[in-house]
Amino acid sequence: MSAAQLTSFRQAVTASMGVSDNRGYSAWAGIHGLPGQFCQHGTPLFLPWHRAYLYLFEKSLQDLVDGVTLPWWDWTSADSHAEGIPTSYTAATADNPLQSGSVAISASDIEQLEESAPGVMSDGDNPTTVRDPGPPTDLPQASTIDSILDAPTFADFTTRLENVHNDVHGWVGGSMSIIPIAAYDPVFWAHHAMIDRLWYLWQMRQPNVLPPAAMLNAALAPFPLTVSQTLDISQLGYEYAVAAIN
Amino acid sequence: MAVASDMKTGERKGILIAPLRFKDQRFTRADLVFTGVDHSGGSYEVVVFLNNTGATDTTAHDIEQGYGGRFVIFGHGGCFGDAGHCDVPPARPSDDLRPPHQLTPTTTIVTITAALRHVLATNADGLTTVTLVPVAITPRRRDRAITPDLFRFDDVSLRTYLFGTDSDLPAANKN
Repeated sequence: MSAAQLTSFRQAVTASMGVSDNRGYSAWAGIHGLPGQFCQHGTPLFLPWHRAYLYLFEKSLQDLVDGVTLPWWDWTSADSHAEGIPTSYTAATADNPLQSGSVAISASDIEQLEESAPGVMSDGDNPTTVRDPGPPTDLPQASTIDSILDAPTFADFTTRLENVHNDVHGWVGGSMSIIPIAAYDPVFWAHHAMIDRLWYLWQMRQPNVLPPAAMLNAALAPFPLTVSQTLDISQLGYEYAVAAIN
Repeated sequence: MAVASDMKTGERKGILIAPLRFKDQRFTRADLVFTGVDHSGGSYEVVVFLNNTGATDTTAHDIEQGYGGRFVIFGHGGCFGDAGHCDVPPARPSDDLRPPHQLTPTTTIVTITAALRHVLATNADGLTTVTLVPVAITPRRRDRAITPDLFRFDDVSLRTYLFGTDSDLPAANKN
């Protein structure tokens, strides 16, 4: 990501965090976990649902900063295996909204989470997301991803990729480690953009292998999209580089 | 196939030992398939060891120790609704178009091809047991430990493939 792209993305996230209605960052984060709880995990809808989620969130950012795009975090890269979470997401500067997000959920939900998952957010009346990452070398290996990209069926691919996805959530720790508030952490979107990119790369390798026909017309609540509408990202107006550019 | 109720926990509470016997050398890929896996609570990982009934959360992830792989469950984090909100209903009739409940137990796999080959090459009895070490993935890293009752599932079975991918097919069978 270029310096200009990073600046633009930070401006968009900052602006989104400043919108308190249903167009803003907290409303989008709250669709995944609390309070909306719409996310799909452990089901065949995992990849299409999150693609629709990223697509619509990116559109909401583009309403605020023209042309901004979501970056992906390649956690298999040499940089990630040396440094962990990208410094663009960890830099402790006043103008960096990517360090953490406000956890805008009800007081009763905060109380329940503090009881059941100590350390999942900061203390105090206005909690924010926190992280407790593991050793960078524990992040997924490129060889693991290469193997998964050879999966012969959608079911095999999504099952194995979701396991890696789950592993990275746990590796980041803190708020990212459980579903209810994971999406309030800005690194959530970069992680899921990587997952979405890997689905795209698999689709390029297996252009004739589709998800099961029975799920193609499934709705991706609460989004106005079906599974089949998520399959071709060129129809959604975005693309991914095949190789990472550092 | 081993089912959860058949497994021994012994004195090491939380660690499960599944009897699974297999000696056939003819496969290009081998998966352990876990069905009915619960994901309603906290996140956790399950580390798999073959023919190592003494494995724990501190056992090296080394093929010589029987390490086969691991899977991670990204947990729903408990129920935040009213009573019944997170109860998974029984299978719905075909004219009920609502999607399956989000907490319907899931199926996941651990590919153990290399580890199984190693076990078969070094043990005359072949594969005899699979040890499952469940560790809570808590928000705070220092809190992570073997946690009984977090990992609930229906059964685990071994699924082998004669051909893992097209690249494994003999040349005569390729297009």
